[in-house]
Amino acid sequence: MRTFGTFTGYRSLILFAIGITLVSIYLFPVYWMVISALKTSTEIFVRPPTFVPEAPTLENFLWIAEQPKLLTFLANSFIIATFTTIITLILGSIGAYAMARWRSWVVDAALVLVLVMQAFPEALLATPLFLLFKQVDLLNTYTGVILATSTKTLTLALVVLRPMFAQVPKELEEAAFVDGCNSFQSFIQIVLPIMLPGLLVIGALCFILAYGQFVYPLSLTTRADLHPATVGLYGFVGAEYADWHRVMAYATIVVSPVVVLFLLLQRRIVGGLTAGALK
Amino acid sequence: MVRVFLALPMAFLLILIGFPVLYNVLMSFQDVTLMTLPQFMRPWIGISNYTTLLGEKVTYEVLANTFVFVGGNVVFQIAIGLSLALFFELSFPGAKFMRGLFLVAWMLPPLVIGSVWKWLFATESGAINAILGSNMNWLSDPSTALWAVTTANIWFGTPFSMILLSAAVSNVPKELLEAASLDGAGPIRRFIYITLPAISASLLAVVSLTIIYSMRAFDVIWAMTKGGPVDSSTILPLFSYRLSFDEFKFGGGAAAANFAFIIVFIVALIYVRSIKHEKIL
Repeated sequence: MRTFGTFTGYRSLILFAIGITLVSIYLFPVYWMVISALKTSTEIFVRPPTFVPEAPTLENFLWIAEQPKLLTFLANSFIIATFTTIITLILGSIGAYAMARWRSWVVDAALVLVLVMQAFPEALLATPLFLLFKQVDLLNTYTGVILATSTKTLTLALVVLRPMFAQVPKELEEAAFVDGCNSFQSFIQIVLPIMLPGLLVIGALCFILAYGQFVYPLSLTTRADLHPATVGLYGFVGAEYADWHRVMAYATIVVSPVVVLFLLLQRRIVGGLTAGALK
Repeated sequence: MVRVFLALPMAFLLILIGFPVLYNVLMSFQDVTLMTLPQFMRPWIGISNYTTLLGEKVTYEVLANTFVFVGGNVVFQIAIGLSLALFFELSFPGAKFMRGLFLVAWMLPPLVIGSVWKWLFATESGAINAILGSNMNWLSDPSTALWAVTTANIWFGTPFSMILLSAAVSNVPKELLEAASLDGAGPIRRFIYITLPAISASLLAVVSLTIIYSMRAFDVIWAMTKGGPVDSSTILPLFSYRLSFDEFKFGGGAAAANFAFIIVFIVALIYVRSIKHEKIL
């Protein structure tokens, strides 16, 4: 990674310092979440609050580790996000491949439709989906939440993957046809392997989005044993006098997989998002 | 085969997004209550869901809130995002890495962001009151709740605007900027006469996306205030959701949803046009 070059003169040193300051101010809420999680139940309500915990403790995290309900919520988040990602990658890669290869007004129309559908907020779709899933017995199932969540990630995946598939050289496939492959075989054996790194990044992005989904699990499930961590956290925050040290400890645990995944893939995620949104 | 490849995901989306949108339109002309909900054909009542909605004061309050919330997000996300994009475009060690770190905020689950901001705005022992030396009930005071949730969502959305605008800013021809600089144009004039016109198409796309994403801010607001106190921080999508799921007025909820759909649909078309015809990037 060539992210840190050499300093040339005072100018870059000053800019560097301003940059660090801007990042620190901006990410203060994240810092506040983590240090609140490290405070004791007495320190959390001290006025004025301490900006560096006086006696940092892990007891809030240990308390959470002993709450089976909160752990179930986390497991549910992983289950929902994993299956959402799998469905999205399968449907997204074949759809984006078709959009990149097939030249027709149908493709243009489909792309416009996807971009428009991507814009509809979940909260507006929740009621009709609730009624639809009631008819087909998908309320209070993982499947229902996964299907609903997949619509959000699939629209994104199609938009972001299309320009990526368009970059796979056609000649490679044509060579495969000469060798006797049919188009399905060439897709599986030639195109997908080339796309693998890109698909992994988009998969990570879809996982992050599905993991953070709130409206669909809130509206499509009433059974607490099916709720993901977002709904679990909401139940926690909604309490009249929230135990903020514990809430923030749970919030910290909930976001940690997202932060790790993002930091690992930061530059590629940024590149994919920009290309998808503006091309 | 490409036809099948395209048909499968499109069928999936049409069943799970297209059908619900149409179903909403249908429901908005029917009398849908808990009693009639399980019936296949519910009584048709024409436009009375809409007239009822338009006859209530709260509807106008919600529309005004939506305007303030979305407008505030557009103005500040773009202004802050563009400033940051321009700053991190300057070449200094670590610029790209630091810029990327902002996006952490955009990746966090919105519900978590709402929860953290609720705690930041807390009256007792909240960080914001401590920093400002104030003693405000930010979230339980109807005159500040909307501004508080707007602030939180601006924080959440700004990194995405910044990243998209960075891409646009980095494509402004460097030779033009240098030539203008040699002719004696200062940074402000270079920005107004060269950078701004060069990024105008991207700017339109980012403005439309910001409107679209602000309308999706459900989780952040729900975690912080649930739209309260007394609807003071409720925007259209929350209003629609509450009518359906809390008050079981499904017809009214569907009618409110359609107001929001129309807004989002128009903005989405502007967005699609802006990226299709202007050859951005």
